[in-house]
Amino acid sequence: MEQILLNVIFWFGIYAIVSISLNLEYGLAGIPNFGRALAVLFGAFTVGGIVNRIFIAYYGIQGELIESSAELKTILNQKIAEDPIFGILLLLLYLTTAAIVCGAIGAIVILPSARLSRDYLAITLLAISEVSFMVFNYSTSLSGGYYGISLPDVFAFYAGNRQLLFALLSLAILVCILILAERISNSPFGRLLRAMREDEDVVKAYGRNLMVLRVKISAISSAIAGIAGAIFSLFTANFIASNFTRVEWTFYPFLMVLLGGAGNNKGVLLGTLVFVTVRQLLTVYKYEIVETLKIPFETVWMEYIAFGLVMFLVLVYRPEGLLKESPVLKVARRLRSSESSR
Amino acid sequence: MLLEGAIVYSNLLALLSLGLTLTYITTSVPNFAHGSIAVMGSYLALSLYYFLGIHPYFSLPIVFALCGILGIACYLVILKPLIERGASIVVLMIATLALDLILFGFIGMISDSIGTIAKKFIFTTYDFEIQGISGAFFVSSAVVLFTLASLWFLLFKTKFGIALRASMENPTLAETMGINVEKTRIFSWFISCALAGIAGALLPFKQEIVPLTGSLIIVSIFSASILGGIASIVGALVGGYLIGISESLVTYALSFVFGTEVLLYSKVVSLSALIIALLVAPNGIVEGLRKWSKSFST
Repeated sequence: MEQILLNVIFWFGIYAIVSISLNLEYGLAGIPNFGRALAVLFGAFTVGGIVNRIFIAYYGIQGELIESSAELKTILNQKIAEDPIFGILLLLLYLTTAAIVCGAIGAIVILPSARLSRDYLAITLLAISEVSFMVFNYSTSLSGGYYGISLPDVFAFYAGNRQLLFALLSLAILVCILILAERISNSPFGRLLRAMREDEDVVKAYGRNLMVLRVKISAISSAIAGIAGAIFSLFTANFIASNFTRVEWTFYPFLMVLLGGAGNNKGVLLGTLVFVTVRQLLTVYKYEIVETLKIPFETVWMEYIAFGLVMFLVLVYRPEGLLKESPVLKVARRLRSSESSR
Repeated sequence: MLLEGAIVYSNLLALLSLGLTLTYITTSVPNFAHGSIAVMGSYLALSLYYFLGIHPYFSLPIVFALCGILGIACYLVILKPLIERGASIVVLMIATLALDLILFGFIGMISDSIGTIAKKFIFTTYDFEIQGISGAFFVSSAVVLFTLASLWFLLFKTKFGIALRASMENPTLAETMGINVEKTRIFSWFISCALAGIAGALLPFKQEIVPLTGSLIIVSIFSASILGGIASIVGALVGGYLIGISESLVTYALSFVFGTEVLLYSKVVSLSALIIALLVAPNGIVEGLRKWSKSFST
């Protein structure tokens, strides 16, 4: 039971970061980013494939990436076990690099279609995400391919349940990101993004460049999603590209955002909680379901069909989500205070 | 041999992008489930062979009909309720993404029910040969020619074709003229998905199929449609052949430079083509060439 609760908290932390990032991009700015998985994938890849490569070069470890990363893991784990501060600093280094790299990636991938209409945006982002997934999945020299890249345990100094630490870490980061997201959505920039979502021509008529707006918000939200990817890969202590499928990191975040209420951070958190809990319960009672229904196939397929149907039902019967997007509060408050001062 | 494979693949890609374009023109939503519908065709063909012993070439009409009906069901159940509620393009796109996941789930179920052979399968051993040229080459070319001929006849020689073209050009105007736009939409989803099913049933003669194939082939389909111009039927064909041939030949040429590992990454070629197309001619090359040639005449 405790393990189930811990799983729910951990997945809630990770998925909430991703869905808040998607909410900034889709809920606020109206960009249908069907390639959310790309930023998560790159966040995870930054840890294993970029930062660790630098360490490998620094320590002068020879050999293929798969073996040398395992060797690096042993060295770093020992260091972290001796010196917890080194572990924390390493963690911060991983997360900041992931955010920077993914911010850059997010800005670059949206460039070809940033001036085009939304269907082109969605198609291009999905295509880039799928192709990157495939390349990372096959290429052993770039990313370890099927075997993956070993990663050090940044909490090697802690002997207890490391999932607990990762759950707390993801919740702490989620709080920071929530504050950032709320600030963005209540800023003039956030209102501009909302305007772009509602009517692109109006924004253009006011002399704003749609392309610049899209590139900016895509960079910000990809950086956030990248952090989630980095935390997840540090938790599994291994970067394997096949963990970062479109279903898990693009479709499910979309489901959480739409279920909770696009444009509303509180709603998105609620949607994420509902989704994560339901999914965890499905995982726990998987064998019972198979036994009682006597189905000749794996339950994951039923999960796909069920969540696909849930998405469809949300779109038809509850397009605004569980919690509706509330009007921007700051403006209302400022108006009221200026009225009372008069 | 290489060129033959490239042409088979291009034939199938042309069928797929033709279908995608048809539904895009009538419903104005890019169907993200198109790849999965094709893979559904592959698995239908496999099931028909496995359970009933029907050779994949002879089951083509059955797959055509079944996938066509599936297409109509997808439109009526998933898209029509949303369109009636005035959903935006983005919502419709998300709905097709959900449809893709649902279809993927069903494909997985079919695959698990057949057994381990369905996890990864190929039909090349069942193929025939004429003077060293594979049967897939003749069959896929015949299917493309037959499709084009019947589409041309339908669009330009029948009354329904005129209605169809009118509602493609301007649905609101067509509706005021008394044309049943709904009927043309249902028809386009039938044809689109039926063609995707045929292409899917022929695809195992060219490459291995796994349940996840749909999410990779969708990249090639979209590249082909956008390269040719997503709102143009001729463009879909041109794009299909350009992407199909370049995916095979460019990757083959690159393998001399970078080694055979490159052969795995043929989809990178279609992605690059897609990005170049978006930067240079976002309306597609057919439209782009038309404008370019016009710039000389004025």
